[in-house]
Amino acid sequence: MMCRTGQRPDPHGAGGEQAPDAAFAALLEDSAEELYESAPCGYLSTLMDGTIAKINATLLGWLGREREAVVGRMRFADLLTVGGKLYHETHFAPLLRMQGEVSGIALEIRQADGARMPVLISSAVKYGDTGEPLLIRTTVFDARDRRAYEEELLRGRKAAEEAQRRAEADRARLQDALAVLQQSLLPDTLPPVPGVETAAYYHTASPDRLGGDFYDVFPVDGKRFAFFLGDVCGKGPEAAAVTSLTRYTLRAAAVHDPGPVSALSTLNKVLHERYTGSGDPRYCTAVFGTVEPHPTTGQAAVRLASGGHPPALVLRADGTAEFLPTPGGLLVGILPAADFVTATTVLSPGDTLLLYTDGLTEARTGRDRRGLYGDEALLAFAAGQAGKPPRDVVRALTELLRGFGDGLDDDTALLALGVPAPAPRQDRAR
Amino acid sequence: MSPLRITMRDAPGGPVLEIAGELDYASAPRLRDAVGGIALQPGRRLVLDLAGMEFCDSSGISTLLAARHHAHAAHADIALAAVPEHTLRVLRIVGLDQIFPLHPDSGSAARP
Amino acid sequence: MNPALGSARTAARADRARSRAGPDTAGYPVTVPDRFGETRDACETDGMDIVHRNNVTVTGNPRGRTVVLAHGFGCDQNMWRLTVPALAGEYRVVLFDHVGSGRSDPSAFSEDRYASLEGYAEDVAEICEALDLRDAVFVGHSVSAMIGVLAAGRVPERIGALVMVAPSPRYIDEDGYRGGFSVEDIDELLESLESNYLGWSAAMAPVIMGNAERPELGEELKNSFCATDPDMARVFARTTFLSDSRGDLGSVRVPTLVLECAQDAIAPREVGAFVHRAIPGSALVTLDATGHCPHLSAPEATNEAILDFLAVSR
Repeated sequence: MMCRTGQRPDPHGAGGEQAPDAAFAALLEDSAEELYESAPCGYLSTLMDGTIAKINATLLGWLGREREAVVGRMRFADLLTVGGKLYHETHFAPLLRMQGEVSGIALEIRQADGARMPVLISSAVKYGDTGEPLLIRTTVFDARDRRAYEEELLRGRKAAEEAQRRAEADRARLQDALAVLQQSLLPDTLPPVPGVETAAYYHTASPDRLGGDFYDVFPVDGKRFAFFLGDVCGKGPEAAAVTSLTRYTLRAAAVHDPGPVSALSTLNKVLHERYTGSGDPRYCTAVFGTVEPHPTTGQAAVRLASGGHPPALVLRADGTAEFLPTPGGLLVGILPAADFVTATTVLSPGDTLLLYTDGLTEARTGRDRRGLYGDEALLAFAAGQAGKPPRDVVRALTELLRGFGDGLDDDTALLALGVPAPAPRQDRAR
Repeated sequence: MSPLRITMRDAPGGPVLEIAGELDYASAPRLRDAVGGIALQPGRRLVLDLAGMEFCDSSGISTLLAARHHAHAAHADIALAAVPEHTLRVLRIVGLDQIFPLHPDSGSAARP
Repeated sequence: MNPALGSARTAARADRARSRAGPDTAGYPVTVPDRFGETRDACETDGMDIVHRNNVTVTGNPRGRTVVLAHGFGCDQNMWRLTVPALAGEYRVVLFDHVGSGRSDPSAFSEDRYASLEGYAEDVAEICEALDLRDAVFVGHSVSAMIGVLAAGRVPERIGALVMVAPSPRYIDEDGYRGGFSVEDIDELLESLESNYLGWSAAMAPVIMGNAERPELGEELKNSFCATDPDMARVFARTTFLSDSRGDLGSVRVPTLVLECAQDAIAPREVGAFVHRAIPGSALVTLDATGHCPHLSAPEATNEAILDFLAVSR
């Protein structure tokens, strides 16, 4: 405003300035003493032992006490609740002694009628010329509104922490349940097949790791092992439910008749009956086969049938690779009766049969979604792996899948069965 | 990415749905709804003209099957016209080339 | 300049310099050269984790009798900064932080272990073993006075005398015994701890550092100076104020000094008298001091009483 320090207002001012003059005069009369007494915060001075030596009217008003009852008769800690007193003795006082000042501590003062008032307290020690502590000066701020707000914050925080604890417990429980279900969809490990080496890999695209692809290998009689690999239409838990039904249907079917056409026909009937009337038709593609190692030749006879599934690949020991065509095989579950066609091959030492799902061939490699990895590229890649044992082939394909990055957005399953090549001849001469 | 476009017109033998753009997990429900909304008379033929279809994944194949269910439930027939090479390859793998009548164009497909 | 304040700030600065000097700033103050120019190597490798866990510091006269200084609830070994200089000339001084306080290893905290004073006493016994102490004098403030009683029972050959500063074996009034507090009072204290959850570190740290204009230094302090994790502080508070160690006092077999304040809101004189009566042969000294921390509020008198006792207790 117009008033500068040390300059009286112009006494010859117009009558309109009368009001500011009065306000200014009142300001000048506001002595330090009056400011101390009626400041909007409490003031308190104590001896080093806490005995109250001076206190302002504001704080006395909050306390509801007379000056005579306080000065020289009470210690600062006596103004606090008992819990606050404990806090004062264990935290506040030692820190004040060590640091000379403490600020912004939330405590409650006890009013004469027993009520409590939340306050924020700051204290500083005043030292004498020689450095000896003389007294403690304390300011007390009304923190009623602020404390209520903080309590709300704390309550909110506690509620959030509790909610998070519960959410984490729920999550852990669901994870456990999920893990059990996941194990029901895929074998933990493949059983040893005499004379045949197996390897498998599963990439799941769904965050809950419930996939729509499946594979399995299991013994069916003394001579043969059955294997299958397939892809259920759709994604996530709905697909996983079909996967489970499919897996156990195929295993059960193979107990009665391990012939590939018979097993797929049983599955076709089961899926068709289960889902056709539901208004939500579900079906799958699958390759089902048997492998029968020959006890003496070291070869293994493979018979397989496909229901709408991409053709298997055979990687030969001589470094070539070929598709094993299974034309005419229809998606499993769409028609009440379906024809499946059997294909056969013989795996000689060093040969590997590779089954895969279309996540591999339909992985995006180009900039748009029409640039897919494709059959030809897979055939060429397989030829490059021909002659290697199944686990090496699967490892190479796993690397290939990893290289697709975001281009691989579907579940992908790989299953390889091969007859080990004879161990390279060792020079045993010593 | 080109969005899925569905256009319906009537031909002498029955309705023709022209399907253009990409038919995938996200857009397939729209085709499913469009087909479900068609009232088919017994003996008529629903033609799905795929000449403009640029992409079709397994969800798209499922929708074609759903369309077949819908037609058969109404004692009507279904045919695919002008199936692009990439989709034809998939149809062959899954054996659907045997259960869908395939025609080179919607004109021949719609002929009663 | 106030000498007490001056030394406190100097010590804080020395702490910082020390923690920045070595490559491992997590700080093993035991390896710091003491005033006699000898590098402390009190802890062998097997005791190293204990030394780290409790932030054990060794200083003073390496040839002197060992005096262990144990802080109580609410602060850490910094509380002894006015006591250490008085002892260091003649005695070897061991300082440490209870787990959950000061610069102890927070990962060592366990709500189960520290739900009773025995957990803290076991730590003290382990510190004594890690440093291979014999016949040491254990000076415990407040709740640590009782922890000392328990520890002396565990490793009698290692603890040869006790100084109990402002001790209380039972804070809660019960059956004619007057500890000064009710269970509800202790709940109020827990509330106070909770209320200062929001303001404690942020508001206190710059002030404690004496560097309010450089708030970034507060970061360093939050974890170092009398500031405690509220969850751990709550456990320590409950263990401290709800424990009942009256029955353990009669088992003390070593020379014991009970040091009480004339005016102590936490451990009133009748509690001091109770402790004195219960410990056979103990000496009682009443300091003309107010408050619960005579080593801070009346350091000269406190040090003198401790030194007098040390002189006759050997």
